[in-house]
Amino acid sequence: MRRGEFVAILGPSGCGKSTLLMMCGGLETITSGTINIDGAPMTGPRTSIGVMFQESTLLPWKTVLDNIMFPVELLHRPRKEHLARARELIGLVGLGGFENHKPHQLSGGMRQRAAICRALVYDPDILLMDEPFSALDAITRDEMNDALQDIWTRYTKTALFVTHSIREAVYLADRVLVMNRRPATVVADVTIPLARPRNPAIGETKLFNELCGQLRGMIEHSHRAVRTTPQVQEVSAGA
Amino acid sequence: MPDTAILSHSAARDPGGRPDRGAGSRLARRGWRGRGREQLLTVLLPLLTAALFLCCWQAAAKLWAIPPVLLPAPSDVARQLAASWGELLFQAGFTGAEAVTACVLSGVLGALVAVTLAASPLLRDMLYPNLVAFQLIPKIALAPLFVIWLGIDAPSRLVFSTFISFFPVAISTLTGLLGTSRDAIRLCQSLTASPSQIFRHVQVPYALPFFFSGMKVAATLSVIGIIVGEFISSKHGLGSYILLAGSRAETARIFAALVVLCAIGLALYGVIAWLEFRVRKAWRG
Repeated sequence: MRRGEFVAILGPSGCGKSTLLMMCGGLETITSGTINIDGAPMTGPRTSIGVMFQESTLLPWKTVLDNIMFPVELLHRPRKEHLARARELIGLVGLGGFENHKPHQLSGGMRQRAAICRALVYDPDILLMDEPFSALDAITRDEMNDALQDIWTRYTKTALFVTHSIREAVYLADRVLVMNRRPATVVADVTIPLARPRNPAIGETKLFNELCGQLRGMIEHSHRAVRTTPQVQEVSAGA
Repeated sequence: MPDTAILSHSAARDPGGRPDRGAGSRLARRGWRGRGREQLLTVLLPLLTAALFLCCWQAAAKLWAIPPVLLPAPSDVARQLAASWGELLFQAGFTGAEAVTACVLSGVLGALVAVTLAASPLLRDMLYPNLVAFQLIPKIALAPLFVIWLGIDAPSRLVFSTFISFFPVAISTLTGLLGTSRDAIRLCQSLTASPSQIFRHVQVPYALPFFFSGMKVAATLSVIGIIVGEFISSKHGLGSYILLAGSRAETARIFAALVVLCAIGLALYGVIAWLEFRVRKAWRG
């Protein structure tokens, strides 16, 4: 992966894409091969990585702002300057006015917005996302994709995004890695040549739908595809 | 202690549960309007029911001329309460102080046991099933053992009372500590948090409502423990007062002591319920 690149891992459930992502985050033991970040092998969790899960995992007793500031608190970073950053992120994702709400007072989409802010508040270089919007309804999901794209464009994070939605992968990513199950391998690496910034209308274009069709074909036929074993993932991002 | 099991079960399903609105919505369906009025009624209704019960008791005792030694009328109890007020308060001082001490001790001990078992999977595997099995013994039956081991003074009663009341706290708190969302722990791990940081920032706040649920049960049990201890050995306290009154067939005196005991239990329970309310409020906003 190149620095500032948005890569989506696409595959059926149970193909190990989440596990691969968690290995990149140092949260799972690497069973074979190595994961290198800036040329150095990955050994455990590190603060240059921000993680988003399928559930927002906000702490129910903290307000939205305190939840977003939680990494800062854990990492003993200076509160004052990060508070400004947190407020900026809150404004960017459209959570302004909800800083003092508790998570249970928010909708699922708003909770994930807060989770994005929390993952970015301490300015990690790499953003790992494990199906962050799969629990949301289709309309909210589209909104979240736009919000994520805005943020990514603004802060140019290296992003690794796991999804089982073909359209989501094509809409967001520069490159889509198609994964297959048993054995868990990457069967294709497709570059998405769509111009940025992308907006929802792009979903109606011929190129977009051709790409979706191409990827769908790969998933459907991936059990017959030649098995390649790219065990080494090179993630490069400036520290 | 089946009540403990039910309690921790329901707490597990709704850790930050809101107060039950069942009674309120029932009233709303009957046509009363307004939140204030609804709340007033949820307070008034049980009080009125209790008053009605006392009236029936009074009427039954007087109309059927039940001998006061069998069942004194509420008015007799009230008269007795007024007559021996000083003595009752003096005795309640012993019982109350010991019950509060036992309750606090069981909170501390229960939390310590829960934290230890949560921190060490090995200890948990070794002790937890035994702890649950031990729960099934009717622990009141062990009271004479504590007299043999520790004598007949306050320490004996305190240890016995703590012994019977710390179990619900330990088990409920442990449920909370272990029930912490896996994702929340993963999030902390991804932020390179140490186990002690995860414990402090995530597991403890998560377990607090569970701890207070256990403490509510402990409040009741600690009073029971002290009274049983006083039955067996003490020269002081409401337990011995009741025993003495019983031996003299002074039934009204027994009831008067029960009223005071009830007040102690309510106060203790009330303080804990209030603390629990504060914690849940901090949780839910």
